[in-house]
Amino acid sequence: MDHEIPTDRRYAESHEWVHETDAEGVLRIGISDFAQDELGDIVFAELPREGETFDRGDQFAVVESIKAVSDIYLPVSGTIEAVNEAITDQPELINEDPHGDGWLVEIRTDDDVDHLLTAEEYEEQI
Amino acid sequence: MTMERAHPTREPIPQIDDLAQAESGSPFTPHDADDVAEMLAAIDVDDVEELFDIPDPVRYDGSFGIEGESEQGVRRRLERTLDANADVTEFLGRGHYAHYVPSVVDSLSLRSEFITSYTQYQPEISQGFLQVLFEFQSLVTELTGMDVANCSMYDAATALGEAATLADRVRAADGSTILVPDYLRAERRAVLENYTDGAGLSICEFPTENGMVDPDALETALDEDVLLVYVETPTTDGVIEEHLGAVGSILEDRETLFCLGSDLLALSLLENPATVGADVVVGNAGVLGLPNAFGMGIGLFACREEFLRQVPGRLVGASEDADGDRTYTLTLQTREQHIRRERATSNICSNQAWVALRTAIHATYLGPEGLTDLADRCTRLPARLAAELDEVPGVSAPANDAYHFREFTAEIDGDAEAVVSELADRGFAVHQRGEDAIQVCVTEANEAHVDDFLEQVREVMA
Amino acid sequence: MQRHRQTKWDETTSEGHEPLLSEKDSTRHEPEDTYLPDDLTRDGIELPSLSEPELVRHYTRLSQMNYGIDDGPYPLGSCTMKYNPKFTEDIAGSTAAAIHPDRDPELSQGALQVYHELQDYLSRIGGMDAVTLQPPAGAAGELTGILIAKAYHEHNGEGDEREEILVPASAHGTNFASAAMAGYDIVELPADDDGRVDLDALTEAVGETTAALMLTNPNTLGLFERDIEEIADIVHDAGGLLYYDGANLNALLGRARPGDMGFDVMHFNVHKTFATPHGGGGPGAGPIGVREGLEQFLPTPQVRTDGDEYTLVEPDESIGKVHGSMGNWLVLLKAHAYISRLGDDGLTDTSAKAVLNANYLAERIDLEVPFEPFHHEFVASAGETDAADFAKAMLDNGVHPPTTKWPEIVDEALMTEPTEAESKRSLEQLAAAFNAVSDEDADTIADAPQTTAAKRIDQTTAARDPTLSWQQLSE
Repeated sequence: MDHEIPTDRRYAESHEWVHETDAEGVLRIGISDFAQDELGDIVFAELPREGETFDRGDQFAVVESIKAVSDIYLPVSGTIEAVNEAITDQPELINEDPHGDGWLVEIRTDDDVDHLLTAEEYEEQI
Repeated sequence: MTMERAHPTREPIPQIDDLAQAESGSPFTPHDADDVAEMLAAIDVDDVEELFDIPDPVRYDGSFGIEGESEQGVRRRLERTLDANADVTEFLGRGHYAHYVPSVVDSLSLRSEFITSYTQYQPEISQGFLQVLFEFQSLVTELTGMDVANCSMYDAATALGEAATLADRVRAADGSTILVPDYLRAERRAVLENYTDGAGLSICEFPTENGMVDPDALETALDEDVLLVYVETPTTDGVIEEHLGAVGSILEDRETLFCLGSDLLALSLLENPATVGADVVVGNAGVLGLPNAFGMGIGLFACREEFLRQVPGRLVGASEDADGDRTYTLTLQTREQHIRRERATSNICSNQAWVALRTAIHATYLGPEGLTDLADRCTRLPARLAAELDEVPGVSAPANDAYHFREFTAEIDGDAEAVVSELADRGFAVHQRGEDAIQVCVTEANEAHVDDFLEQVREVMA
Repeated sequence: MQRHRQTKWDETTSEGHEPLLSEKDSTRHEPEDTYLPDDLTRDGIELPSLSEPELVRHYTRLSQMNYGIDDGPYPLGSCTMKYNPKFTEDIAGSTAAAIHPDRDPELSQGALQVYHELQDYLSRIGGMDAVTLQPPAGAAGELTGILIAKAYHEHNGEGDEREEILVPASAHGTNFASAAMAGYDIVELPADDDGRVDLDALTEAVGETTAALMLTNPNTLGLFERDIEEIADIVHDAGGLLYYDGANLNALLGRARPGDMGFDVMHFNVHKTFATPHGGGGPGAGPIGVREGLEQFLPTPQVRTDGDEYTLVEPDESIGKVHGSMGNWLVLLKAHAYISRLGDDGLTDTSAKAVLNANYLAERIDLEVPFEPFHHEFVASAGETDAADFAKAMLDNGVHPPTTKWPEIVDEALMTEPTEAESKRSLEQLAAAFNAVSDEDADTIADAPQTTAAKRIDQTTAARDPTLSWQQLSE
């Protein structure tokens, strides 16, 4: 099955994507189309609180489908700037629009994203 | 013509049952010799023993020395064994209560579709039990006033243990103390300690006054480290707590959960836990549906909606099927051990589902008025018995200046141990409380024996 | 082929197949003239109030929409859904069994004798030196056993260092959860290519930090851990204990004992091995056995006897309690009755027929069973079909399906345990159901079940928007 892999962002091997925002030093993070498809119908997402600080590689969120629980890891270090409250009521947004309205958090970071995969590299991985 | 008749011999006549068993080994394996032969041929094996891939050094060829018996023989033996339980009238309580269980409870709960079914992993073929559990959750929700209730814990003690670890999981700030009243039964405290040991929590006691919370003493005992305060009504001593609202107010603005211990019958009459500010309600649901069963029970667990994702145990939810019809299913299973493993909210798998069925049948049989009337009776019976005991020379009852539910303690001039023992000899069991007190429990189940009981107490105290 | 068809009520309303109690009646009652003053009572409660005939019909209809072992085969792997003899229920229902737990032991000698005899039976069956009956379920038994291991290491002054429990990847989820509840870190062990414990991985994982290894034998694939002696040596040499998860003991009754294999602690699932009914999810009972040297850590009280009188004793270094009193008494009483009825011959025959039945059934079905030689259960693969869908289609073929999608080592796993209580004819019916589904087209399978009281249930909506009571339903 084909999955969308937008070329305007970078990807982690663990299937998170990172996209720049209008604000400098703030990145938006979500999970890939491939990841949501593997998980199946998502029924709940446990998100961090605004202001929480994480290191690169930390688990920062949990996404649940009916029969599986997946840890989501941060591809960069930083402080949570915003969380997508819409997901709390409508976790299906992650399934329906993983690269858009189904984003998880925005994080303020000093890290760059060069260590992450390009769309092309990610496509090869999956 | 004369008929030849066999002469009766003095040889023992083999039991029919024993003959059948000798042939099959187990009376509950349906295979005859032909079946076994055909099955072995089908799998191309000469002997069943070849199917066991067990290395010789760990093979067991011995005998357990347990001799099988006929059904009649087992029943006779066990019934005879159980008859060694003394035939006494129990005036016992302290967390385990006997109420009259109507016949419909046995009749319906023993239907084999219920009792021989498993956990509802295939909801489409298990709608009946799922609806039973959904209705049980609803009954508990109504009686506790909480937002959500699960399908059961093992008993009141383990439910308290689960409440403590829930408090640890839901609180953002550090903290590791569980505060319990000094009247908490030692057994419940011992279970609580084992449930919280892994999480590194410690159990501390706060003193009570006249068998109830002393709000000032509770406030003194509280500090930032306290995760949860546990209070009972009625207490293990039968006292109806009069300061629940005060406890709720004290805890309202703190990051400390208010856990109330009670039982489903008492809750039909006493203050609504939600109204007094409880966050979690635990306790014994088996007061309805189960007779005394040597301490077997069913734990109830209900809490506020915000803790839903941290609730231990099974939850049944409503949903729709492919036709759009309302149906029921186990839900939020990602909290549970079979999916979340070491990060599950609890290790519980088997619970007390069948007892929940019995509880729901009994509660519905009584209905709201029946429940409340029975609960009201459970406040009048101990009051009257205490008053009557108080007139017996050498007895002072009740020991606490309070309203009581089902039971109360009474002070005794003299040796309580001797009094309890002498009452047992005369056919009545009561609790000994320390050196100079007893505890007495009276419900509709034993109230017919109250006059005899009083008579014996008078004679023993004389 | 005989196929079970469930009763259902064809006129489905918005209230579902059978209205809720609350939809049949909802009465608000506000108590008046109570003995208690108003400030100690609540305003009122709102609950169903049904006459006895209505109540009986409600629950009878619900029972008809529920499948039990008495309806037909129920081959859930690792669950041991065997026939529950009826006479045990009569014994449990005797009035002499309905006693209060706080009776002086002198007044409950009969119940204590039953406890003592069952402790003794289980010790012999498991090859253990002492048994407690207190844990109210298998998972509670696991927690108890791990707490005993913890107490043992603390006693030896190694409580702080030994902070890990090893668990095979294919173990029951309760193993992980129970060890975590006792405060341990979990180290997951991979299986080798044969589906058994990988000895190299085990050797690498054990050490001074190991508190115990938890193991099921036969494992969840039905395979006997042939290297069990070596496994025991590796764990013991490192100073750890070996814990036996008794979920699969039915395969070994009378043929091998955990105690002889080197296990130090074990639990029994009496609701599996010893035929006490599962009751729709419980109550069960999870007694545990320990070898010599660990009995001082057992929960309190233990039932002992001098041959004359039965007494309650607190072991010297008891871990305390795991249940408010003596566990699930009525369940234990039924287990005692079952073991007494079977005796040595019956118990040994049980494992023979359990293993024979699993092998015969596997032979008769058209699916691949990747791991052999299995014992009382096997794990078949549904192949290209989703195992959960396969199970739904089995419902339409008139049987309860096996456990699905687990253990994960087999793709689209169908973990199947027929138990000894199924006849040859019944196994053939079960096999026919497997094979019928194998031949069904994808659409039929996707639309199944069509014949049960409910059609395919939407799990996603149930989880996204939890509705857990009739109060929430009417919100």
